Amino acid sequence: MSLENPFQDPLRFERQVPECALAIFGANGDLTKRKLLPALYRLAYERRLSAGFAVLGLSRTAMSDEEFREKMRASVKEFLEDSPFDDDIWTAFAQGLFYMAGDVHDAALYPALDARMKEIEGQRHTGGNVLFYLSTQPSQYIRIAQGLGAANAGTGKGWRRIVVEKPFGHDLTSAQELSAELHKVFHESEVYRIDHYLGKETVQNILAFRFGNGIFEPLWSRNYVNHVQITAAESIGVEGRGAYYQEAGSLRDMIQNHLLQILATVAMEPSATFRPDSVRDERSKLLRSIRIMKPEEVRADTVSGQYGPASIGGEDVPGFRQEPGVNPDAQTDTYAAVTFFVDNWRWAGVPFYLRSGKRLPKRVTEIAIQFNAAPLAIFNGNESNVAPNLLILRIQPEEGISLKFLSKRPGTGMKLRPVSMDFNYGSSFGERSPTAYETLLLDAIIGDATLYTRQDMVEANWAVVDAIQHVWDNTKFDFPNYPAGTWGPKAADDMLARRGHVWRQP
Amino acid sequence: MGGTIAPDRILHEMADLWVSLGKQSEGDAGVLRACSMTLVVEAEESDDAQAIGETLAALMPEHPSRAIVIRFRADDRRTLAARVFAQCWMPFGHRQQICCEQIEITATDASIPDLAAVVLPLTAPDLPVVLWCRSPRLFHLPAFPQMAAISQKVVLDSEAFNDPAGILKEMSAALAMGRSLADLSWTRLTRWRELIAQIFENRAQLANLPGVSEVRISSCSKSPPVEAFYMAAWLMDGLEKIGAHARLRFDSAPGVASGELNRVDLIARDGPDSIASIVSIASIGLVEGHAAEVRVGGLVNRAVLPRPTDYALMREELSIPGRDAVFERTLAAAAKLAADETRP
Repeated sequence: MSLENPFQDPLRFERQVPECALAIFGANGDLTKRKLLPALYRLAYERRLSAGFAVLGLSRTAMSDEEFREKMRASVKEFLEDSPFDDDIWTAFAQGLFYMAGDVHDAALYPALDARMKEIEGQRHTGGNVLFYLSTQPSQYIRIAQGLGAANAGTGKGWRRIVVEKPFGHDLTSAQELSAELHKVFHESEVYRIDHYLGKETVQNILAFRFGNGIFEPLWSRNYVNHVQITAAESIGVEGRGAYYQEAGSLRDMIQNHLLQILATVAMEPSATFRPDSVRDERSKLLRSIRIMKPEEVRADTVSGQYGPASIGGEDVPGFRQEPGVNPDAQTDTYAAVTFFVDNWRWAGVPFYLRSGKRLPKRVTEIAIQFNAAPLAIFNGNESNVAPNLLILRIQPEEGISLKFLSKRPGTGMKLRPVSMDFNYGSSFGERSPTAYETLLLDAIIGDATLYTRQDMVEANWAVVDAIQHVWDNTKFDFPNYPAGTWGPKAADDMLARRGHVWRQP
Repeated sequence: MGGTIAPDRILHEMADLWVSLGKQSEGDAGVLRACSMTLVVEAEESDDAQAIGETLAALMPEHPSRAIVIRFRADDRRTLAARVFAQCWMPFGHRQQICCEQIEITATDASIPDLAAVVLPLTAPDLPVVLWCRSPRLFHLPAFPQMAAISQKVVLDSEAFNDPAGILKEMSAALAMGRSLADLSWTRLTRWRELIAQIFENRAQLANLPGVSEVRISSCSKSPPVEAFYMAAWLMDGLEKIGAHARLRFDSAPGVASGELNRVDLIARDGPDSIASIVSIASIGLVEGHAAEVRVGGLVNRAVLPRPTDYALMREELSIPGRDAVFERTLAAAAKLAADETRP
């Protein structure tokens, strides 16, 4: 008979985590330094990790455990957000940091890794539980999976899970190949495809907002919603990642994963329970309901853009083709706008406008749900008397929710004005929100895949995006078509105008 | 000279207050009125008014409430006085103010029998009432049960009572009568308990648990404080659940502050040595008193224990609107332990 921890108190305690070791491939990379280690340190600071939690970092650079610890200490101090750095806590946490140098293409690495993990298990009482984290070049994922498989590192005394960073392939076929290779070593339930957008508090709050309140869900359909706009804008350019970015583009880099996952979260049906597969089943169902465009629809309902040079605030900003490492004739989309339709009973006929771009006026990610206007304008007056209700779910930078509605202006006569009812995460809750990586790492350790992407979801995303990308790949665009610092090409405005809509200015 | 207050007048003053706030607000943003409960605070006149105000202000963003602060003065005259004001904050870079209303009542001891009749109409409709009693004297006043009766939850801090066995017995009796209670001394233990629970999420450590033969709880005072009884009762209850029969020992050792726990050990019969400490949590970082050292097997870890301010404790309690079965079970057992410990 297995014992249960008799000291649990779910009413007051945070979720408890099992003992485990985390093996990070690409431990010398930017993601590890900027995101993973600061998130892990913060979890340790918050007492969220087990006492013997251990990290084994792997990369090609030769380093001792001690050098790795020093390097990570400097990174955590530099990149820790909204948190104090405590020397005592770091010292205790750093005892669990280990390092191993090796080339992922070298078959000898994997048996050595397995042996090192067993050594750590004895030292740190990690129970044989291992979470592998692939933070390397995507082209190395398959090789690492094969190496782990050959060394039998995918099975052991405790559980084994693997976290894979995006991109999950570069099209449907390559995504299927990657999954097939991973499945030779790991069961799908052990594969955690990370989309850090889903770890953001406000994205999770969409589920709480929709399914924890009784008053909104009845309005959440084609009967009341006029259209939905999802915007993910960045004010920066490619920031030295030009060579990578020109192979990816905005459609693949943002819409294929982050924005379609947000769309699914906004539009999915309520799940019967909050169990991981129950929620993911509904998300997946929604993604499979997105209409796959025919070539003529792609031309009407999508806009590809690329920024050109401009002067912003007195500073000259290069165009994409002038960025280092970028082909001067690159046809890469640094901006993408798409009109999607969800072919199910709830959403038939409601346009979902998604746009994402670089070098737009500000960094903002938000979802705007525009409701139908009142059916009859009984109040005479100007246009503001018929402004439709708008629900805005802000994801970054200021996470929160706003509802805009009309109210009578004080005084005689019936003049209306729009007012806003706001909820802000930062100020409405006294405590700091965990970062997306804190949430997602903890979920993977606990074994909660609710916020991770499943194979069928990835494939549904690619099926939708491939249809667009195929047409774009065979089109010669007249780039650049928007100056840096503006809200994208005029064609994107025209795309909405055809249905009588306009983009919000976030 | 005596004086009294009319609830209708206070409600009217509150309505005026909202009109005035609306007029003061800049531009078209308006003022948002937020309320999720009525929080009644009973405090002595000598209690630090500024500290109470700061605690309430800190609680408001997460638990917006109509706060009724009653300050008591020992006086034979039947006098009640009240004033109304608002706690406001501007969360959106000066776009819109969010405000909660606050009523401050000054009462003399002699006027206490009139108090419930005044407070009841002032509570926000359809929302729960939480009563936070900050003084042992007020808890023992004959009229206290009337105030408790209009509340869905009563929050005390048994640390302020000099007689641990006595207050645990009284609280246990109140609980048996169906009252919903919370004790900030119990709340102070949450982080300690969470650390202990987390240790036994490790299956190897969990497997050692039935082998625990002794529980040692060390505090800074000569006799065990309420927190020690709570911790003991909770640990013994958990051990019993898995069939461990351990001996309980209370120790006294110098530590952070009077009354506070400074160490918890679970000792197994068959460790690497004849007696092995499998869990040891000791308060360290004496300047701040906010770090704990956890020794499990051969591993030593350190964790931050946030300072248990009134704000942090109340924030946790206000997040639990219903009954807390773990606390209620522990309170009953702690009262029994304390009675046994103090029996001559």
